[in-house]
Amino acid sequence: MTASRITGLALGWLAVFCMLAPLLFSVWLSFSPDSFLTPPTGEWSGRWYVAFAADRRWVRAVERSLVVATLAAGVALVAGTPLAYAVARYRFAGRRVLLGGILLPACMPPAVLGMGLLPLLYVTRLWGHPAGLVLAHGLLGLPVVFLIVRTHFDQASPDLQAAARGLGASPAQVAWRITLPLARPAALAGAAAAFVGSLNEAMLALFLTTPAAETLPAVVWPHLRYAASPLVAVASCVSVALTLVGVACLAVLYRYHPKR
Amino acid sequence: MNQRLTPYLLSAPAAALLAGLLISPLVLLVRVSLFEPAHGRGFFTPDTWTAANFAAVTDAHGLRLLGFTVLFGAGVAALTLLLGYPLALFVRSLRPRARTAAVGIILLAKLANLLAVLFGLLHLLGATGPVNQLLMASGLTGEPATLVRNLFGALVGEVYLILPYAVLVLFVQLTGMDPALEAAARGLGASAGQVFVRVTLPLSAPGLVLAGELGLMWGLGAFLGPLVLGGPAEITLSVEVHRQAFEYGRWTRAAALALVLLLAVGGCLAVYGLLTSRFRRMT
Repeated sequence: MTASRITGLALGWLAVFCMLAPLLFSVWLSFSPDSFLTPPTGEWSGRWYVAFAADRRWVRAVERSLVVATLAAGVALVAGTPLAYAVARYRFAGRRVLLGGILLPACMPPAVLGMGLLPLLYVTRLWGHPAGLVLAHGLLGLPVVFLIVRTHFDQASPDLQAAARGLGASPAQVAWRITLPLARPAALAGAAAAFVGSLNEAMLALFLTTPAAETLPAVVWPHLRYAASPLVAVASCVSVALTLVGVACLAVLYRYHPKR
Repeated sequence: MNQRLTPYLLSAPAAALLAGLLISPLVLLVRVSLFEPAHGRGFFTPDTWTAANFAAVTDAHGLRLLGFTVLFGAGVAALTLLLGYPLALFVRSLRPRARTAAVGIILLAKLANLLAVLFGLLHLLGATGPVNQLLMASGLTGEPATLVRNLFGALVGEVYLILPYAVLVLFVQLTGMDPALEAAARGLGASAGQVFVRVTLPLSAPGLVLAGELGLMWGLGAFLGPLVLGGPAEITLSVEVHRQAFEYGRWTRAAALALVLLLAVGGCLAVYGLLTSRFRRMT
């Protein structure tokens, strides 16, 4: 290995590591023994985790974030999976419009979407209700689920369904016994991605939550702007841990293929 | 069940979600931007029509905001490409196992909580943070450099949020190329620089165009980077929308600003599409 290759490798890995550095630094800060947000070098302390768990406001926010993320993943799953099937297997009027439109939630600047959803939730009296955020995050998760599940349907052969039909199964039986079980890993992987996306989404959350129904980002962000608190570092660490759980589910589900 | 109806029934839930939560908010956004501001209670005055909100956001101050937003978005897009391309090339050059690890790290950075990333950056770059300690220990600066609450901080923050997407897009493009082409160019006597300029770069152009488009689209909508790591001068249209709506309760003006932002994004992407149409056709 030449010297230039070694330098290149070192620089490259340093750059890759830099992408994760802010996250690792937040986690490190959360173990600080004092309240000045200095990274713990000698003594590590779990006292801020104790304080976090004892604070109703933070715990409620974590719980609410988890509930919102779960329901949002469900919304994205229920809307995205059948659409992926329709687009992969049928040619119909409006297909191209849907193919373009499905990507729009990811393209829309969050401030525009947030500012549009705000009066909508206000006039429907859902502003501040977690259901508003569930629907908004479901919309954001829709393209994610759609893209993952559509890849599955594009690769899966329609022969099994045809064979089941030929053997006398009704369309409903085919859907329930063949199509959906085969699509399950992809659909659940999509749902896991939507779950993680909702959990970590902060921009719409800032527009659509009110003090009565705060999710994690809404509690975190005043601290970022006005006052620093070690509890924010703990919240970061908690969100990283929850994200890793979601990613682990995603990885396991995506690797798992039922026996064909 | 009528076979011809099946695809429509299957796409109905998604279509309903898009219509209810994407189309109707946009329509409502236009309507709210034409309401008169609230007098006393509420956030707007129902049953009124006025264009005054747009006059308020297209004055000199509003145009400065628009100009800053566009420049900031273009800067973020350019920086993500400049940093993301070498990084993607590096990840491609790794052996399979190391490559998987690097892609995993980048995926984690992409999936991570944006506020956690920005919180970490805030303290990494702060006056007593490690970056400043390193700068002072190396003798580059005598006193802590101001790295946050200014343009530098806002750019770093937003680039951090978008970079993982750019690296992943470029990595997919680079690994999809036929490696034999670069090897053949080397074999025919091209230098490493020539191979890069004449083979690698042109072949990866579609990926660069796509990564640049994503960077521009999200950079124009930049919100959290400038909000958390920027100073009082780094106000993008997105930040101003949020400020007008939540600090002043002026939903009508916020809605007008949001529409200006939407038009700016559409306009910039159209110009970008024209400028890059030559490179798209190469796919």
